[in-house]
Amino acid sequence: MEEFKIGLCPYCGMGCRFYIKTLNGQPIGIEPYPGGVNEGKLCPKGVAAVDFLRHKDRLKKPLKRTENGLVEINWEQAIKEIAEKLLEIREKYGPDTLGFFSSARCSNEENYLLQKIARLLGTNNVDHCARLCHASTVVGLAQTVGAAAQSGSYTDIPKAKVLLIWGYNPSETHPVLMRYILRARDNGAKIIVVDPRKTGTVWFADMHLQLKPGTDIVLANAMMHVIIEERLYDREFIMNRTKGFEKLIAVVQKYTPEYAEEITGVPAKLIRESAITFATAGRGIVMWAMGLTQHVTGAANVKVLADLALICGYVGREGTGLFPMRGQNNVQGACDMAALPNVFPGYQKVTDDEKRKYMAEIWGVEDLSSKPGLTIPEMIDAAAKGELKALYIMGENPVMSDPNTKHVIEALKNLELLVVQDIFLTETAELAHYVLPAAAYAEKEGSFTASERRVQWNFKAIEPPGEAKPDWEILTMLGKALGLPKFDYSDVEDITREITLVAPQYRGITPDRLKREVMGVQWPCPSEDHSGTPRLHVERFATPDGKANIIPVEFKPPAEEPDEEYPFILTTFRIVGQYHTLTMSNRSESLKKRWSSPYAQISPKDAEKLGIQDGEVIRIVTRRGSYTCRAVVTEDVSEGVIAVPWHWGANILTNDVLDPEAKIPELKVAACRVEKIGGC
Amino acid sequence: MEKKLFINLGRCIACRACEVACEKEHGISFITVYEFRDIAVPLNCRHCEKAPCIEVCPTKAIYRDEDGAVVIDRSKCIGCYMCSAVCPYAIPIVDPIKELAVKCDLCAERRKEGKGPFCAAVCPTDAIIYADLNELMEEKRKRKAERIVEAQRKAVETLAYFG
Ligand code: SF4
Ligand code: SF4
Ligand code: SF4
Repeated sequence: MEEFKIGLCPYCGMGCRFYIKTLNGQPIGIEPYPGGVNEGKLCPKGVAAVDFLRHKDRLKKPLKRTENGLVEINWEQAIKEIAEKLLEIREKYGPDTLGFFSSARCSNEENYLLQKIARLLGTNNVDHCARLCHASTVVGLAQTVGAAAQSGSYTDIPKAKVLLIWGYNPSETHPVLMRYILRARDNGAKIIVVDPRKTGTVWFADMHLQLKPGTDIVLANAMMHVIIEERLYDREFIMNRTKGFEKLIAVVQKYTPEYAEEITGVPAKLIRESAITFATAGRGIVMWAMGLTQHVTGAANVKVLADLALICGYVGREGTGLFPMRGQNNVQGACDMAALPNVFPGYQKVTDDEKRKYMAEIWGVEDLSSKPGLTIPEMIDAAAKGELKALYIMGENPVMSDPNTKHVIEALKNLELLVVQDIFLTETAELAHYVLPAAAYAEKEGSFTASERRVQWNFKAIEPPGEAKPDWEILTMLGKALGLPKFDYSDVEDITREITLVAPQYRGITPDRLKREVMGVQWPCPSEDHSGTPRLHVERFATPDGKANIIPVEFKPPAEEPDEEYPFILTTFRIVGQYHTLTMSNRSESLKKRWSSPYAQISPKDAEKLGIQDGEVIRIVTRRGSYTCRAVVTEDVSEGVIAVPWHWGANILTNDVLDPEAKIPELKVAACRVEKIGGC
Repeated sequence: MEKKLFINLGRCIACRACEVACEKEHGISFITVYEFRDIAVPLNCRHCEKAPCIEVCPTKAIYRDEDGAVVIDRSKCIGCYMCSAVCPYAIPIVDPIKELAVKCDLCAERRKEGKGPFCAAVCPTDAIIYADLNELMEEKRKRKAERIVEAQRKAVETLAYFG
């Protein structure tokens, strides 16, 4: 029997809906679903979203490491042994030797449960991969506007008169968002793209500011310099709704466009022109992603962009806003659910005694740890040093996704207990003591929060393969086996309802409502009769006094700069047909054959200097490792810059130095050299 | 007037969702996206009004169906590829299994179910649209007119401001 079930795309943070077509319970294809933020439209990954579900590599049984490698064991045994081992390690070395990686691929309920387990075990060592993408956004926006989320909705985009797209390439990372961006252009909006590469998004831009990787602050400060000098800022907005403008004036004074040209490589004239275009448009949106955030100055980068939007008054009105675009389907939700080491669900600080008491009461314990936990890179380091003994990883693949691969592998091998819960035997799972087979998106229910704070229900379309189980079920079993209080959830809705109690932003977002309203609800939604909030900061900012903080920042160069031995700047990017560490996308034949192998973009001048032909095999070397791929000679990158898609393991090269505030690694800049190998 | 498949080059972002969609529907893709330095061209059969492939086909295997799509009747095709040779876009290709000419049929199966061509259904930027030309142009004209009004209003505002 053929059936159509409403699905939710498992790839990026756009939140696209589609139908999953099934035949006798097996997934056979995707059909456009007319509603949803994507209006039926999909990118190639969405069209191929059922391909990996029935792949032969799916994990079907729990596995345990023995002398003969990973062997199958039954669920009861696996959960019992894992729980015992976790308790034993806690007993022996203390709760802070346990660590948990949650996942932006998993539902709100699943993230909620994992952080709850960590916290009930007595540690705040819980984090997830937002650390590698938008940790800077979370920190930067919390300090400036008080809410770590996209301020407007996608529907604001076509109403804007200028779009400033910074370190972000929606044409490959959120193709469906380009629909809204091109609509803005149809309506006469000017598009300014800031990117070291000439990307597909640049094709549609009026101005391209091709800056040197890692010089974002100089460029933004120079734009603000011009806006202030020409008196193009929004005086009324600054006076009524912000604080700190005077300090900004002082700081940006020396960042003249001419000075900025020297550092960023962007012509002063273009900086001036783009600043004027941006400030005089009347309604503007600033969008950013990894190109801005993955730097040693990540949080500062976000703050300058927020400043830029604030001095122009581009927050809280129609057609304006701060848009940090989320890469994974539930980055926003995983942050909201507090898969973060310093907060409880709804961004309530673990150090706040009152909040902690409240959480402890709901969870049925005396008190919880008030000591902020470790972030992902810090847990990796602690494991390498032998300070972290056990790591529980749900739906993440740090061996491929984290910088400096060799270091990550050494750290994981050093653990007394490594548990990986996933849908495939990832490079990380291969190192685990226990591997637990999880259900994929179409095989379970729960809520997911897309980039524009839109919480949508994920309906179940098919059964999981073999003995695989939804992550929330596995975590419920584990919670019970650990003897934690109140872990008697009988279905996923029980957890959703608990979330409405705990996270103030989600109060009115009940499971019944989400099932009824397929379009979902945008948080904050304080009560069940509230229709949700498409736009934040309309009257006041989410700061204690309601005013936004303009926080000036000074430029600091990237941690590694080119030198004689490593004369090039390496930067990484994403492509449309593959996704992150390839776990899902590369198991689709249609995607795999079109986006088949690793490559590196190199400018024609550099290629000529090194005697490298287009298509030739080259080796890229950094202080951390080397990587072999094919050269693509293209004017899309400037001289001195080498750009690689990161999906095929390029993180062997990247730098694991951290932004001190956001603890995000500087994945976007490393010094490298290029060696010719020859052969095609 | 019947619906046609329009390609708007100024909107293609080279995401190749159309290729993947076509491949899902037909096993092979009858649309190919060619990417250049700052533009991409998604190319499939244009279902030409004066289709040279129909004219040249010796066995009359190629015909126009009730929706105006140019399609090949597999039982009549003898694999001579005259159609490919005369097609201005070199569209008909060799089916690797049956070794006969195959091409975009404007998603005949889907049309039977009242659904449009898959490539147009998914294209995120409306670079491919399945529509009635006159209706489409009417909408476009209206949008242009709105833009003219907007520009005019702005000009008046600016005048007032400086005046
Ligand atoms: S789906 Fe649309 S935008 Fe994407 S490649 Fe095809 S025609 Fe271009
Ligand atoms: S195959 Fe070629 S000639 Fe025939 S209708 Fe299509 S585009 Fe025209
Ligand atoms: S109309 Fe159908 S057959 Fe033709 S290119 Fe598009 S998807 Fe393929």
